[in-house]
Amino acid sequence: MRYKSQAVAYWYFAVAMVLFGLQIVFGLLSAAKYLGPDPLLYILPFDVTKVIHTNLLIVWVLLGFMGATYWLVPEESRTELHSVKLAYVQLVLFTVMGVTAVIGYLFRYGTGNKLLEQPLPHKLAIVATMLIFLYNIGMTIKKAGRFTVTEGVLVLGLAASAVLYLPALLHFDNYTVSIFYRWWTIHLWVEGVWMMIMGAFLAYLLIRLSGVDREVMEKWLYVIVGLVFIAGILGTAHHYYWVGVPSYWLPIGGFFSALEPLALVGMAAYAYFALRRAGLSHPNKLALHWTIGSAVFAMFGAGLLGLAHTWPSVNRWTHGTLITAMHGHSAFYGAYAMIVLAMITYALPSLTRSRIPGESYVGYAAFWLQIAGMFGMTMSFATAGVAQVYLERIVGLGYLDTQLKIQVHFLMLILTASIFAIGVGLFIYDFFRRVPRIEAASDEQEITVPSGGADKLVPGTAFTERGA
Amino acid sequence: MFAIACTAIAALAFLVLTVHSHTRFPELSNADAITPEVVSGQRVWHRYNCVNCHTLFGEGSYYAPDLTKIAQLRGDAYLTAYMRDPSQFYDEQIHRRLMPRQDLSDQEIADLIAFLEWVSNVDTQGWPPRPILVTTGLSAPAAAEQPGVTRVPVRPVTPEDDPIAAGENLFRNVAPPCQACHSTQPGVNMAGPSLAGLASRAAEIIASPDYTGDATDVEGYIRESIVAPSAYLLPGAMYSAGGMSFMPNTYADTLSEEQIDDLVAYLMSFR
Repeated sequence: MRYKSQAVAYWYFAVAMVLFGLQIVFGLLSAAKYLGPDPLLYILPFDVTKVIHTNLLIVWVLLGFMGATYWLVPEESRTELHSVKLAYVQLVLFTVMGVTAVIGYLFRYGTGNKLLEQPLPHKLAIVATMLIFLYNIGMTIKKAGRFTVTEGVLVLGLAASAVLYLPALLHFDNYTVSIFYRWWTIHLWVEGVWMMIMGAFLAYLLIRLSGVDREVMEKWLYVIVGLVFIAGILGTAHHYYWVGVPSYWLPIGGFFSALEPLALVGMAAYAYFALRRAGLSHPNKLALHWTIGSAVFAMFGAGLLGLAHTWPSVNRWTHGTLITAMHGHSAFYGAYAMIVLAMITYALPSLTRSRIPGESYVGYAAFWLQIAGMFGMTMSFATAGVAQVYLERIVGLGYLDTQLKIQVHFLMLILTASIFAIGVGLFIYDFFRRVPRIEAASDEQEITVPSGGADKLVPGTAFTERGA
Repeated sequence: MFAIACTAIAALAFLVLTVHSHTRFPELSNADAITPEVVSGQRVWHRYNCVNCHTLFGEGSYYAPDLTKIAQLRGDAYLTAYMRDPSQFYDEQIHRRLMPRQDLSDQEIADLIAFLEWVSNVDTQGWPPRPILVTTGLSAPAAAEQPGVTRVPVRPVTPEDDPIAAGENLFRNVAPPCQACHSTQPGVNMAGPSLAGLASRAAEIIASPDYTGDATDVEGYIRESIVAPSAYLLPGAMYSAGGMSFMPNTYADTLSEEQIDDLVAYLMSFR
């Protein structure tokens, strides 16, 4: 790393990895309950394992975003962070918030509002964290005087996320209205401003990993962000089909949300062509796997599988079934989990000192096992969902009877989720077996690697970009 | 520039439509029916984390059935008894899934039901397109042991049709539909007991000293079961409580004499 304050990113990533591992534990528990019967029915029922699973996801991914931003901004703006201490305060505040919220869920202390179950004090802590973060990043960029398009998109995405969290603080006695505004936070986050964040990280990684021109990449970044919002804002209406709001949201949602995959196709195409046109200039091929993988998997899970159930004529039958889970898992993993893991894989060799090369067999195994596992899980949810739609919704078999008939798919889900979990475990192991580095490496420093790669330069440091 | 302009236009359109939607929310969601009990009921729904197993308006979790229309498929008495102890109604060994008892107070249960009733009346643009039933009894072991028993299909009927066909149509279409609680398969007891062999059983019941109703023949018994369900209670904690049957007692008011005649004709046809 070029700037000492970038080291703060390590601690964000470390906490994120612990929470990621814990998230998977609760995911496996939840999946096991689908096979039933449940020996933990009164100790850890499904609603508790599931709420912990989803909340841990959001906390670790946000920590990943924050850590990756603290890594990226000093490098792009060519300056140390405004306040490392503030970054640590933010980390502690957010982690304490997340951990205590999860402990609270064990005792059913929460708002019971899907994905926004954090109690009010915790929501306020989230707002405070976001403000500290934006202040710290803002001051860093301001003192530096260098502000790239990549940074701009990232910071705008983060700031907009903070603003869009505010609807989550509202409460309505009318459940329909409550649903309406809930989606302003959730949809406009994951199908809106978070895509700006993902796009920015993708651009950053592609610029570093391939030989492509920054200006070309950043021009495409604008196009992609434009596509995200043209489709995504009115595409919010695909959550408004059946909840008690006017019927015009149906055609609006159907049309605009069907355009949402375009941005994701754009991202995947842009990643592929960057590489093909400019070649691979950087030794960290594993980081490249995660980067391209994220763009492609997001196009598949978020784009294709989202399109599969977004039209009202289809959604009428699939709404509220495992089809949604099929899309949700693959989309979130491809778009957000993978891009964070890509940033971590890219930065890790600089953030740590280790005799192990940045690209290790363990690292590759982690990548492929996760991809295979998540793809398998997606297929399991898909087959379970299609069968559920047909039996429960079309034929009119009861819910419980249908669930019994699709047990084989739950078995597949657990098997593939176990493969995924092994992949996650390996990634976490690979992360923690390296010791964090405190000093920054200088531009010309050569570090020989005794085993593995023949590269002399430690991947992730001191890489001059063309056109910078 | 194009991107920024399009974003701005989309955002503006979205905001304008949001404002307009607000003018329509009260009518579509029957906001005037949101009583303090309904509000309390929503709080119960949130407090007990229901949305992390169930869906409402299809949103939530997929581990338990959608409850958007449950208040239209099950009566108050049933829902109250169910919420007090779900294990009286479902067997974890058979269904491999059971709702844990939530230990709600009676007031909380009443409020929750008020909330679910309000939910069931929201205009959801025709969702779900077909009723989402909790169970249709196929997981009960008895059904599997009865080879040769076929399910009777439903076809559209006209007033000229045989009353039995008309009755069969009503069986699936009245509110709440009989088939939401009763199966016509032998041995399949759902929220209500199986109606297979009803005519033969009815004859035995009215002849027995335990019978507390006023019917003197099978047809009268069946009619009484529809219009005055509590006149005679079948044994079982899952069917009644406090001397009141869980079967809705509204059919006497909501169905015409001719409709009741058709239903009776249909039910009489089960030997």
